[in-house]
Amino acid sequence: MKLVFNNVDKNYGVISALKNINFTVEPGEFVFIVGPSGAGKSTLLKLILNQIKPSNGEIMVDNINLTLGTKQEIDNIRRKIGVIFQDYQLIMDKSIEENIALSLDIVSFPKEKISAKIDEVINQVNLNNRRFLFPSQLSGGELQRAALARALAIEPEIILADEPTGNLDNENSWNLVKLLSNINKNNHATIIMTTHNQEIVNSLDKRQIEIKDGEITHDSNSHQKKAKKDIHSKKHEQ
Amino acid sequence: MSNNPKTTWHHIRRSPIQSLTALILMTFSFMLVSLFIVVNSGLSKVLVYFETKPEITIFIKDNLPQADIDNLQKDLANYQDVKEIKFISKEKALEIYKQQNKNNPMLTEMVTASILPASFEITVTDPKTLEKIYQNYATNTNVVDEIIYQKDVINSLLDWTNIIRRSGFIITIIVFIISFFSVSTIIGMKTTNRKDEIKISRLLGASKFYVKKPFLLEGIFYGLIGSFIGSILTLTLIYFVRTSINTFFQPVVFIPNELSFYGLVILAQLLLGLIIGFFSSLIGVRRYIKF
Repeated sequence: MKLVFNNVDKNYGVISALKNINFTVEPGEFVFIVGPSGAGKSTLLKLILNQIKPSNGEIMVDNINLTLGTKQEIDNIRRKIGVIFQDYQLIMDKSIEENIALSLDIVSFPKEKISAKIDEVINQVNLNNRRFLFPSQLSGGELQRAALARALAIEPEIILADEPTGNLDNENSWNLVKLLSNINKNNHATIIMTTHNQEIVNSLDKRQIEIKDGEITHDSNSHQKKAKKDIHSKKHEQ
Repeated sequence: MSNNPKTTWHHIRRSPIQSLTALILMTFSFMLVSLFIVVNSGLSKVLVYFETKPEITIFIKDNLPQADIDNLQKDLANYQDVKEIKFISKEKALEIYKQQNKNNPMLTEMVTASILPASFEITVTDPKTLEKIYQNYATNTNVVDEIIYQKDVINSLLDWTNIIRRSGFIITIIVFIISFFSVSTIIGMKTTNRKDEIKISRLLGASKFYVKKPFLLEGIFYGLIGSFIGSILTLTLIYFVRTSINTFFQPVVFIPNELSFYGLVILAQLLLGLIIGFFSSLIGVRRYIKF
């Protein structure tokens, strides 16, 4: 799924959360959205999920303009997106297994395969001994992994991860990033991950979009493109 | 775990007091409706019975010569709008009496044809004719022993029937409105309690119908189970007391003996319960999840 932000602004009353955001994410890319707290990273993810509407500009997901798309089109797009919310957004009176099953039911995953899929993702995030517990019985890190399991279960085309390492210790943070990286490589899922863990960002050779005060201040992709273009033109000059 | 019936059951179990309230209200409403249906059906039968019976009965003097009886019949036949004149001899009167009291042998044993008067039963198409017949024969004491003119009986019965029907209908409607809006409010409250779940499901791509469906099924559940329990309770009670009631209304069979009648009432109530449950939950859920 291709994702395009075209001159997008988002205002909350007089406060401008995002200003003139322009970028494109190609299918299968792994993108870090970095920036300090309050920069607008979560707002960006909410816009992709159509949780909020842009004040100006257009957002295209899978060639559908989210502002103009029908409810059915928006629902279909959401079913292709796995989300790891910053505050987990797990249903409190359902067990972890039931939370995952619900997301599978929503995407009309074949009923006979639901159980096996739950086993698979629960194993992937190492929550096997927690599957029958309720969110209130889990630690912050376990909740984060449960949210990841739910996102992975639907085999999404895009994974939106909002500060997924925020509540994890160093080891689990690396495990999660490795897992996302493998999914990106093996399943060709697009990953968009917000974080302020610079160590993780620097360790992986992935595209970075940096936001400050609602504006993109750096996009490594555009720099890479520009560098490639410069090399190309220099070759021609020679 | 699939959504829908399991989720509905989960919702019901998670707020048992609200669920029980909704169920009791529905059950109570349908108990009343069942009672209203049975009473209404019985009253209709009573009315039909009286309306189709001869509307005036002239009892004639004992030992009246046959010629006088024939003359009386000819006279009566001359009235306009007379539909039927039926002569009931003493023997026929005894036969009718025995038929009417066949369950009470004490009464039938003590009565003979000689103590019962012969009579003419006259039905007319225009009620005004009844008044004329009554006026002309009430004073003819040589031939006529007594006249039973059922105008007052029918009018009074009709008035009572209408009052019972109207008040039964109004009470039923009021009770239904109360239970409809109560169930609707309960479903609305449950929807509000689960707004986080609804929001999360929507963000995961659930359609609006998907998140509404468990609540609609819950309303249907209350409607169906409430109507079933309500009908069964009332109809069972009625079935067991039907003999006493039917004896009181003899010869009219006020409460049917056929089980098919009860089956039909239950089926109709289930359908009504389904419709009411669906629409009450639809309204409740629509207040919080807009289409």
